[in-house]
Amino acid sequence: MRTYLLTRLLIGLLTLVGMSLVIFVLMRIAPGDIVDMIFASAGYVDPAAKAEITKEIGLDQPIAVQYGRWLRDLVQGDLGKSYRYDLPAWQVIRPRIPISLELALLSMAVAVALGVPAGVLSAVRQDRSIDYLIRILSLAGLSMPSFWLGMVIILSLVWLLGWIPSLTYVSPLEDWKANLLQFLFPALAVGLRSSALIMRITRSALLEVLREDYIRTAYAKGQREWVVIWRHALRNAFLPVLTLLGIEFAFLIGGLVVTETVFNLPGVARFLVEAILWRDYPVVQNLVMFIAIIVIGMNLAVDLLYGWLDPRVRHA
Amino acid sequence: MRPTGERADAARIWLAVWGALLGLLIWAPAAWAGSASPKPGGILSATQSDPPPSLSIHEEGTVATVWPMMPCYNNLVLFDPLKRAENEQTLIGELAESWRWDDGGKALTFRLRKGVKWHDGQLFSAQDVKYTFDVVREAPGAPAKLRVNPRKLWYENIAAIETPDPGTVVFRLSRPQPSLLLMLAAGYSPIYPAHVPLAELRTKCVGTGPFKLKEYRLGEYIDLVKNPDYMIKGRPYLDGIRYVIIKERSTRYAALQAGRLDISYPLELAKTIAQGVKQAVPQIVLIESSTNLNDNLLLNFKRPIFADARVRRAINLAIDRKGYVQAGRQGGATVGGVMLPKPSGAWGLGEKDLVKLPGVGDATKNRAEAKQLLAAAGYGPGKPLKLAVSTRASSFFVDLASFIIDQLKQVGIEASLEQVEMGVWHAKLTRRDYEMAVNNTGMGPDDPDANLYENYKCGSPRNYSDYCNPEVDRLIDVQSQTVDLAKRQKLVQELDVRLQLEGARIILGWAQEYFLMWPYVKNLVPHQSAYNYGRMQEVWLDK
Amino acid sequence: MAGSTRGCDMPERSGAFVCASARRAGDRASVLRRILRFCRAKPLGAAGGAIILTMLFMALGAEELATHDPVRTEPARTLDPPSAQHWLGTDYLGRDIYSRLVYGARVSLAVGLASTLLGSVLGGVIGLLSGYAGGSADLVAQRFMDILQGLPLLVLALVMSAALGPSVPNVVVAISVPIIPRAARIIRSSVLAIRESPYIEAARSLGVRHLRIAFRHILPNTIGPFMVLTTAQLGSAILVEAALSFLGLGVPEPFPSWGRMLSISAAEYAHKAPWIVLFPGAAISLAVFGTNLLGDALRDVLDPRLRQRMS
Repeated sequence: MRTYLLTRLLIGLLTLVGMSLVIFVLMRIAPGDIVDMIFASAGYVDPAAKAEITKEIGLDQPIAVQYGRWLRDLVQGDLGKSYRYDLPAWQVIRPRIPISLELALLSMAVAVALGVPAGVLSAVRQDRSIDYLIRILSLAGLSMPSFWLGMVIILSLVWLLGWIPSLTYVSPLEDWKANLLQFLFPALAVGLRSSALIMRITRSALLEVLREDYIRTAYAKGQREWVVIWRHALRNAFLPVLTLLGIEFAFLIGGLVVTETVFNLPGVARFLVEAILWRDYPVVQNLVMFIAIIVIGMNLAVDLLYGWLDPRVRHA
Repeated sequence: MRPTGERADAARIWLAVWGALLGLLIWAPAAWAGSASPKPGGILSATQSDPPPSLSIHEEGTVATVWPMMPCYNNLVLFDPLKRAENEQTLIGELAESWRWDDGGKALTFRLRKGVKWHDGQLFSAQDVKYTFDVVREAPGAPAKLRVNPRKLWYENIAAIETPDPGTVVFRLSRPQPSLLLMLAAGYSPIYPAHVPLAELRTKCVGTGPFKLKEYRLGEYIDLVKNPDYMIKGRPYLDGIRYVIIKERSTRYAALQAGRLDISYPLELAKTIAQGVKQAVPQIVLIESSTNLNDNLLLNFKRPIFADARVRRAINLAIDRKGYVQAGRQGGATVGGVMLPKPSGAWGLGEKDLVKLPGVGDATKNRAEAKQLLAAAGYGPGKPLKLAVSTRASSFFVDLASFIIDQLKQVGIEASLEQVEMGVWHAKLTRRDYEMAVNNTGMGPDDPDANLYENYKCGSPRNYSDYCNPEVDRLIDVQSQTVDLAKRQKLVQELDVRLQLEGARIILGWAQEYFLMWPYVKNLVPHQSAYNYGRMQEVWLDK
Repeated sequence: MAGSTRGCDMPERSGAFVCASARRAGDRASVLRRILRFCRAKPLGAAGGAIILTMLFMALGAEELATHDPVRTEPARTLDPPSAQHWLGTDYLGRDIYSRLVYGARVSLAVGLASTLLGSVLGGVIGLLSGYAGGSADLVAQRFMDILQGLPLLVLALVMSAALGPSVPNVVVAISVPIIPRAARIIRSSVLAIRESPYIEAARSLGVRHLRIAFRHILPNTIGPFMVLTTAQLGSAILVEAALSFLGLGVPEPFPSWGRMLSISAAEYAHKAPWIVLFPGAAISLAVFGTNLLGDALRDVLDPRLRQRMS
């Protein structure tokens, strides 16, 4: 087990390094850099001044040198300065993390709250009309672009209620009610997709388990349907759902990008898009590494959990 | 015992009526006084679409910086915030108490206010003025250098700045230039502190203005707070201003409609949406005004195809300006020439000159003439003219370019669209790496010097089309030195028509602003240019 | 059907698409029969297939089906509600929405198909080779796939799109890149299952070259998972293209893709003219819905065990 953990960690680290290289190179391939953007916002370009600033920031160095410098700084814990805001990158990124985190967690909560009961219902009433209905609805939810869903939600809110949630981010510590209202609808827009996936996996896991002999025995013994499901079946569906949650959490970040834009939430994902547009290399690189660490960490955690919870693997 | 009967009723009626009248008498003055005299207090909720690229006005050319930062600074002179028009008659002094022209118009002397303090407590003096404009004009031996300097050209004509005493500043010019005073009154010309490094002013604000920077939460909002030591006693009225950054336009307007925001953002240019809000909440105030921003089409004069005046004129004719007004700006634009059109602009063309311009007037006739010109130049259905149109990759520009491409298609020109990312756009324009480009240009003050030198003079870096005509250059210099207003206007108008006929920069039209504010916001008057009225010193809330 | 009789000793699967190499000698008619059987067994899947085919038909016959030129702007008729003249109304430039939808099908489906095929084929080949080869080559390939997959789909597509610039081929490449690792993983796991079977061992002991084994014998058996994969990823590709276009980094004008019709401009006018946003979004949703229905049905038919491997 320990060697397994160590190998996985090592592989994870290697993957991180690989990702850092990919992002580093890709960003520098993209035409234009922060100096172009600075001049763009002023409305003109002066080639002489441009060369000066490029040198000042260090972008005139060969790519390998820049990469080496960045890695060296990173290892020392220095995340560099945002080109755009002239402030330490960490200072610029940090306030946004809790926002995206809250949105991701709430979306997962919505997904589970909607998906698991739907999956159970669908499995227990397999092939009946309710099953078909749930499957079609969830498939529809899976098919909608989440930003379009967000647009439709906002349109409906404004049209029908003439109401919009808070304009500036309200932390849950300040006013948890306003915060909840602010995050409910974007969480819905993002969570609907995940809920569909969770519904499907709950359903299929449950279906497999429901066919087992010991379930039939439980019924024969006269136990009530819902008790059987709750006590026996769901426990076995728990694992695949958890796996999916772990994987989905990472995928969620992509969905966050568009949702944060539509709902005006100053989160990490939207900030990443802006940083890409502005060629703010330090911010992009650090954010992507941050996301990558979360993704790899999630995968590792899920694998470990799986290994620990599934007795077959534990005793292998 | 209660009185009864007819007399009692009459008495009651009399009492009621007089009671009401008395009440009115007491209430009226209070209400009147309430709505007439400014009340201090309150926080103004403003908004903007993008975060300011930096907080340093002298290093930026966008309203996203000028709008939130104007309350933090002062100019030497300013266009009166309470008057819509911006011209020499509406100038008021800010840091300057008085000014006069000497030496045949070659010396501009300002007498400065005394006892003004910077936000960090240091005393303001003539040194700060000299520092600011020596830095901006990149004088030899200037004490500091701006990282980016978009308006260096404005102050090219200044030979020296003298400070005979801490309360006096003299600008010595190489030749007379009446426009200098107007350029100093623009929102883009604040006075910077000589004792603060320029780099610091990008992330914080040290000015003399009515408001101080309280907090700048990146990407979310900018909070300004009242300056208790402001040089004018009793101002500002507001306790503070918050500029909330909301990227989505529909969210901004929804918030405005719901009363969460007090005012909208200049250069929104969203006529349909603004009217929608006005319909939904009729009590909101909708002000239509000009912006001093025009949409234009650049032709790269260095490309041989555009050496042919017929081709240039054909393109100019093909684009129906009325169609642009509707499709490009949803009706929120006016047709005009090189200078801001009347009645908003003082230098714009009159009606009879306007109809002479290509693309104005009968669209069918114009298209027919365009096709003839193209045929004469050797192009036709068998051999169509193929051109590339470049533009910024933002929704608005791509849509505008699509409209233009469609207009060109209708005279037989096949145009393809090239989308360029924002960061690379100006670099491309500077390198002249384009064939035709859809652009817009916003100018600070409505002044011929600010406009013509930058955009039409030979060799000017922002003369993106590289239009070059030495005779026109000479005429630009002549008008710049002409002190007589009527004579100057005539010169400018002649230049205007000429530039349009030659296709130096095809002006599609001038965008109109639809500024919204709630009726309790007082003393905020949108000007004819979007960049000069954000000081917020006189604004108060009647709540 | 216990054990096929046509000389392929593969473990029994409840689908008929296996052993293509053996059955190639030909019953074209039975293909049609198989399709009909599929339709009867999986009506939902058939519905999905029908949706996709309809959209394909719409895309191919755009010239005939459209009522207006999708690029023609009519400044006088901006933001018109649906009417007899403009079936689905006009947008903020006065363009006919129905015609843009019809032509947009062409772009969105073409981009989706091209990027899915590109990504799936590339990823499939990588998965096939690395799964078959095993050893260090497999490890390296796996790590590279991990790198690509570790970055969320949209983020990777975004960065690629920014790096390459906006043009149709670049968008296709940008969307295909995130698909490669997902395709590789599925094909690889399929290959791993088949690799150890006695049939393959027999072939190897007979001296058949590795490459031949890989492409002639293993590949056909991955067609099932491949079909499921491409169908599922097609929906995902259409969604990514829509998101990229929404953010401004997708298919450039004048191509009217469905995603572009949902640009920020459209969103701004949506509260006054909701039809400019509702119809393109519905089109996207419908297309993806179709691919999901079909993909699900295919998965059920080809291998119920695949369900676990896919998630």
